[in-house]
Amino acid sequence: MHGRDALSMACGALASNWRRTALISLATAIGVSAVLILAALGEGANRYVLGQFESLGTNLLIVLPGRSETVGGPPPLLGETPRDLTIDDAYALLSDSSIKRVAPVIVGSAPVSTAAGLEREVNVYGTTDALLGIQRLAMEKGTFLPRSDPHRGASVCVLGIELARELFADDAAVGKWVRVGNTRFRVLGTLANSGVTVGVDFNDIAIIPVASAAALFNRESLFRILVETVSDADLDRAEQAIHRITASRHEGEDDVTVIAQDSVVKTLDRVLTTITIGVAAISAISLAVAGVLIMNVTLVSVAQRRTEIGLLKALGARIRDVRRLFLIEALMLAGIGAIVGLTVGLSAASAVAIIYPEFPIAVPAWSIALASTVAIVCGAVFGLMPANRAARLDPIKALSSN
Amino acid sequence: MRAQDLTQLTFNAIASHRLRSLLTVLGIAVGIAAVVLMTALGEGVRQFVMGEFTQFGTNIIAITPGKTSTFGVSGATVSSVRPLTTDDAVALLRVNSVEAVVPVVQGNARVEFGRKHRRTTVIGVGSDMPAVWQMGVEKGSFLPNDPFESSRSYAVLGSRMRSELFGDAGPISARIRIGGDRFRVIGVMESKGQMLGFDLDDTVFIPAGKATELFDREGVMEIDVIYSDQESADTVAEALKKVLLVRHGQEDFTIKTQEQMLSVLDSVLQLLTLGVAAIGGISLVVGAVGITTIMTIAVTERTAEIGLLCAIGAPRSQIGVLFLVESAMLGACGGVMGVGVAIALVFMLQWFVPTFPVALVWVYVAGACGMASVIGILAGLTPALKAAKMNPVDALRAN
Repeated sequence: MHGRDALSMACGALASNWRRTALISLATAIGVSAVLILAALGEGANRYVLGQFESLGTNLLIVLPGRSETVGGPPPLLGETPRDLTIDDAYALLSDSSIKRVAPVIVGSAPVSTAAGLEREVNVYGTTDALLGIQRLAMEKGTFLPRSDPHRGASVCVLGIELARELFADDAAVGKWVRVGNTRFRVLGTLANSGVTVGVDFNDIAIIPVASAAALFNRESLFRILVETVSDADLDRAEQAIHRITASRHEGEDDVTVIAQDSVVKTLDRVLTTITIGVAAISAISLAVAGVLIMNVTLVSVAQRRTEIGLLKALGARIRDVRRLFLIEALMLAGIGAIVGLTVGLSAASAVAIIYPEFPIAVPAWSIALASTVAIVCGAVFGLMPANRAARLDPIKALSSN
Repeated sequence: MRAQDLTQLTFNAIASHRLRSLLTVLGIAVGIAAVVLMTALGEGVRQFVMGEFTQFGTNIIAITPGKTSTFGVSGATVSSVRPLTTDDAVALLRVNSVEAVVPVVQGNARVEFGRKHRRTTVIGVGSDMPAVWQMGVEKGSFLPNDPFESSRSYAVLGSRMRSELFGDAGPISARIRIGGDRFRVIGVMESKGQMLGFDLDDTVFIPAGKATELFDREGVMEIDVIYSDQESADTVAEALKKVLLVRHGQEDFTIKTQEQMLSVLDSVLQLLTLGVAAIGGISLVVGAVGITTIMTIAVTERTAEIGLLCAIGAPRSQIGVLFLVESAMLGACGGVMGVGVAIALVFMLQWFVPTFPVALVWVYVAGACGMASVIGILAGLTPALKAAKMNPVDALRAN
């Protein structure tokens, strides 16, 4: 039998039972589109989170005071140590050529109030002018903290956009005075909306010079040092330099923990990708179910076309010709389903992309490959049994059965 | 038609196409098994996480400095212009039905004994810590009930810390240095193991007052309050809030009851279970399409039978019911089979990998069975209607 003949016969069989064909294709299509949509949502979430981190820069190292020798334990995030990590420790890091700039950070919580009597308790960040570039913050109005001696605290501050709105409503905050704790600060500028950020919420924050924060909270020790390296390639060198320089300044004791933003991002990426693949795999179970249905319908088709099969064999069709005929039918069922499913899945993803432009939904290539391969393979595997059954029919019995 | 006849007819219809029925049932069974397994997995994770959180007891209230509504570390935990102090902790002890109060200061320091040293977590706590965190003392005793401002320099080691620093030697009454200050070891804690990745065994416990000195802090990071079972968490939280408001003049602290935290966590995890169940449910939808397909085929094949039934006076509704019962039966069989397979798999998992968190939720299991029948009926609806609407004359002539 010619390949073309077999194809047209299968097409004819599918078309004559169009209702059945449509239903089985629908089953496969549901499975394929589910895999695609779930994978696209997972990938979108992954990209969103990674984008948040990458907007902070990939060549970033975070230095925390304290170091635990517990293997695999969490870093000492709260950063309380007997020996202070000082502003001088931070600036000493600049002596290494791999380190471009550093921002010492002191964190605390304090009420910020206006002359009008409005008050809001927020996180206060004591830092320097370098933070603006390292954290890639943007200003909405006014200017950031000026470059100055980090040991001298000026009475100036920068407010997050939400804090500024709460305290000054629609009035311009720039140039006004606020009270942070019991100290007065002049507002130099407001930060632009940074969206939803991972970690620190820069919308509801007051940023003051690091020395002012040290005085406000009565503590010398830094909470973090943010270190930007010259390039991504310098991360390892910079990390070693940080340990070396700190040890030389802390009587030979290397008591800091260095976290590379890069490694955090990579771990996160791995975790999120695993979850996405897991979810897609669970939804791919439905493709196996669709395979069972294809088998079932092909079996029905074989049973209904016994006479036809008998006739074909009487006319000299070989076993493999008959087998091919029904395999093609099963594969076409799976194929139509896969094509419909891919179309629905891809258009659903595009629809989401249009409706929620801020969510970076994307159909990963592997999910298209996974869904269509599993669908086709299921069609072939589950179509094989009915096709074999048809091929082995005794032509005499098949013809006489009607 | 009598119910008995109806059952007989349906049964014959299903049994006469054994392989076809089996495959249809299999489709539903896979879907049901996927849903039951996914919920079992979700429930297992939920129980595991809740267990991790409730190991510190359930009648705990945690007070942290700073007024925040969000999760995560507030800047106030690090430093605040209005800190929570050990004096606050003492004042809270006077609140009715409060049984114990533990201020917590956590930091990282180098612990030395002789020539051995180890950098680790140092936690400043009160003498009631073992009761509040439900940790037992293995050797010696826990920190004595000294006033916070003049507590003696005693230290209690976590079990891992003890073996790292002392090996087989007895640690009791040994002198160690923590961050340069001298402490005397008076006890060793029982192993508590990991708590969400945080190793409580690799720690040293010292009096909270000493910890604030060591880390040069003004306040504590958290005050844990344990209250009597007889009181409700909200009543106690309200009373604690009143006392702190009087002392601070304003609400610059956050009170979180264990109940609140657990209920939030619980609802999140239940939602997650529902989510994975829904993903498994996609297979169920595909299985349902399978029932519709097979029933459509059955209606076409049995056109003559339908015509005959009509001709001998069966009302249309009865013909519809006939096919509906058949599809419901297919669905129900799939449900029973799927649940059976899922339960077997769950028990196997529990037997071979006991640490793997799976737990059957019987509500979901029963729900899955019921859902399978409902799906069967829904999937059979269109074919059944088609059968019911057939013209008996045409139907009889079809063959």
